[in-house]
Order: sequence, then structure tokens, then C-alpha cells
Amino acid sequence: MESRSLESRTYAPRTPVVRWLGGFGRVAELVLDHAGAMGMLAARVVMSIVQWRFSVRAFLRQVWVMGIESLPIVFVTGALAGIVTSQQGGYQMQGSMPSYVLGSLVVQTVVLEMGPVLTGIVLVGRVGARITAELGTMKVSEQIDAYHSLGRDPISILATPRVLAGIVTMPILVGFANIIGICAGMVAARLDSGLGFESFLYGARLFWHNWDLLYSFTKALVFGTAIPLISVHMGLRTKGGAEGVGRTTTDAVMFMLMTVLILDALFPPLLLN
Amino acid sequence: MSTISYRNVHKAFDHPVLSGVDLDIHEGEMFALFGPSGTGKSVLLKTTIDLITPDQGDVLIEGVSVYSGRDELVEAREKVGYVFQNAALFDSLNVFDNVSMGIPEKVLERQRAEVTARKVWDALELVNLEPRVVLPKLPSELSGGMRKRVGIARAIVGRPRILLWDEPTTGLDPVNTAAVERLIVRLSQELDVTSLVVTHDIEGGLMICDRVAMLDSGRLRFCGSPEEFRGSSDPLVQAFVDRAAAERALDLSEAAI
Repeated sequence: MESRSLESRTYAPRTPVVRWLGGFGRVAELVLDHAGAMGMLAARVVMSIVQWRFSVRAFLRQVWVMGIESLPIVFVTGALAGIVTSQQGGYQMQGSMPSYVLGSLVVQTVVLEMGPVLTGIVLVGRVGARITAELGTMKVSEQIDAYHSLGRDPISILATPRVLAGIVTMPILVGFANIIGICAGMVAARLDSGLGFESFLYGARLFWHNWDLLYSFTKALVFGTAIPLISVHMGLRTKGGAEGVGRTTTDAVMFMLMTVLILDALFPPLLLN
Repeated sequence: MSTISYRNVHKAFDHPVLSGVDLDIHEGEMFALFGPSGTGKSVLLKTTIDLITPDQGDVLIEGVSVYSGRDELVEAREKVGYVFQNAALFDSLNVFDNVSMGIPEKVLERQRAEVTARKVWDALELVNLEPRVVLPKLPSELSGGMRKRVGIARAIVGRPRILLWDEPTTGLDPVNTAAVERLIVRLSQELDVTSLVVTHDIEGGLMICDRVAMLDSGRLRFCGSPEEFRGSSDPLVQAFVDRAAAERALDLSEAAI
């Protein structure tokens, strides 16, 4: 009994304030550690792009994996986003507003929000997790060390093609998601609320700003940079065998989702006001 | 002048792994490094070409510090061929691409494709693999022993002056273990390289190496010839030489617990 109280005196934090400060310090250290490492990674990726030290073949392969292979799921999510927005909007506006306003609601919601964010989330699950698991496995099986030992730069070989492919493919995917979402919303508005295509498009044009499209593609560009960058960063930090790969992949998915959602929340005050 | 010199090398992760290791490997020597698991043998090997950076101390290759600058590190990595424990072949590349990665990038850019193909072919023949059969295969299509040989071929194709072997016989059956040991000796002689072998295979190490050392708790516990190792009065060294002594040492440590 005595030894237990001695133990608790030795190890327990003295006050809640000290405990809180300790926890805050640990989180701050972790955040700064990740931020610093990702900054370094981004700088090295930029350098290898500028110096053209990456394989175009590897880049095209990543464009295929991230872009072409993601198209079916992006089409489905884009279409569902348009349909749901149209159905919800039609229900809420029943009898209170001119029905053509639904066109504006669907287009603005899809272009400003649903298209980029849902495509970002799809990319996190389909591509980000894959990159982290792939690079994590290479890390724990010493393949990354092997690149170093052979005088090769794993950043140019592995990170640059993936980050560059994300930057190129994400805006294209978001463009597709926007188009398919608007088309699906238009069809749903006709079937659900009886709104004709011309009225839908009239409403869409009424409140349209060209800036909205630029806003949508800016979001896509930022998400397309952040997702592969985080997934590569996490993959290259993996340790601890197969269990470590699983743990890091889960952490990376959480990290990427939080980043997409936080960046999404930062966009309106920065670019819409 | 020593080919590889470790000077007061310290490294800690959660706990100290290397605590001031000083060691010299001479030119043309075959040197084996033994020690219980987790004593930092592989960590020491990785500090040789900055795969792990020491917290303190230095590593010199042919008198030049690996840690004095980027050019020195690049030069050191060109001089060294590293054989990884599990071969560490690149999963997405076939055997040809894996082995040709062992040729320094600037040499690869300069030389003609036929020359590269010839070098890869020769390296595979040196490790007793049939190039025609294995060249197009992916690592996943090879057996453990073949993967290891491809890993060795990748390490020697650039004609390094030093070979670092990280537990080259781990996970192999006795026949393949003997074959890889013969290969280490033959390659070291034919290519005229300095070899540093980290291994748990004491008998094999004592048989093929000119000098051996033992690491324990991050410190060098023994360094000498295989004969001196066999005749050492150090209980830990004895435990490694003789199974019966190992059992006695285990009994003593269990009794102490």
C-alpha cells in the first residue's frame, strides 16, 4: 500500500494545470514535427519538379491510377450529390420561392461545395490510403533505405510523380463531378419537382458568377496537393512492420479527412467574402 | 589506412542502442560482427552510409568522413554495396530493373543500353542465377534464396569496393545458407572487396571471416581473430561459441531473475 502511494506521488502530475500544459506541449510538438517534415517534403518535391528529376512514365502511371481509375466513383458521388441537393432543395422551397431558384441552388451547391469536397474525400479513401500503405510497406521492408543506399532519391522517384499527379488530376476530376452533379440535379429537379430544363438553367444563370468556377478549381488544386503530400509524408514515416503500416494508414486517412474539411472551412472567409 | 572506421559512434532511439563504438575494418578484410539481438549491429551497419545518422561520432570510408558533406556521402554510397536482410527488392520492378538500379545513376546515363544489360547479366551469373530465366521476373515470383541472390547482384553490379552484408543468411535453409556463405567468400575474393558481415550465424562467420567482433549493449565487447574468439574466456563470447555454455548462461540469468 505504501509503495503504491509512493508510486503515485512519483509519477502523477502535480496539478491539473501542469497536466494540461504537458498535454498541450505534446500535441504542439507533434503538430510542429509533422508541419516541419511536410514543409521539407513539399520543398524537395518542388525542387525535383523544377530540376525535372522525376520519371514522366511514373507520373503518367499515377495520373492513370488517380484520375482514370477514380472516374467511376467520382461520377457516382457527383451524381448522388446533385440528386440529393435537388431533392432536398425542391422540398424546402415548395411554395415559398419561384421554382427556378432550385437551378441556382443545385449549381452553386455542387460547384462551390459538393463537387470539390466529395471528390476530395473519394481521393482520400481511394488514393491517399493506397499511397500511404504502399510507401509504408516499402519503408518497413527497407526498400526506401535501398533507394538511399543506391544513391537514388526516393522523393524524386516516389513522391514527386504522386504529388504532381494529384495536382493535375484533381481539378479535372472536380470538373467531371461538377458537370455530372449539375446534370443529375437537373434531371432530378424535373422528375421530383417538375421543373423544366430551361427553367432550371434560367435559375442557374441568374445567380451565376464566373468566380465560382475558379473557386471550385482552386479548392480542387489545394486538395489535390494536400492529399498526396500528406499520404506520402505519412507513408515515409511508417515504422513497426505490418501493424505499423495499418496504424499509419488509418492515421493518414484521418489526417487527410481533417485537412480537407478544415481547408474547406477556411475557403469561404478567404475567397468568398 | 582503414577502409571503414567507426569513431565513438552513439545512437539512441527510445533507449541507447550504440554507446561509443570504435572499430576499424582494414582493406580487403572479411569482418564479421556478432552479438545478441537488439545490440545495434544492423544500426551500426546502417550508419556506414547514413541510412541511420549517429547522434554522436563519425564514420570514415577510406579516410573521408561520410558525414562531412553531401558530396562525400554520395561518394561513399558509390563505393559501398549494401546487401539488405530481406533483399529489399523493389516490388514493382522486374529483376533486370532491380539489378540495374545498382549501377550509379551518372554511369547509367552515360553508358549504352547493351553495356548495362551485359553488366546485369554478369552480376546475375556471379551469384549463380540463370539470367535468361530470372531477368523478366518480379520479386514476388522468386524464392527466398533467389531474392537474396538478386539483392546481392544489385549490390555488386556497380563494382563497389566495400560490401556490407546485413544478416545475409537469415531465413535461409542450411543448404542455401552454405551456398550464400560460399558466395560471400568467392565474391569478396573475385571482386577484391572489403566485407563487413553482420550475422547471427556464428559458425559460418568464424569460418569465412579474417576477423570478428562482438557487440553487447551498444559497446564493442570483443574484437580479434576467429581463433581468439573461440578461445576467449568471456562468458558471453563462450555462450555464442558453444551451445552448452549458452544453456549455462541462460540458467544463470534465469536464476538471477
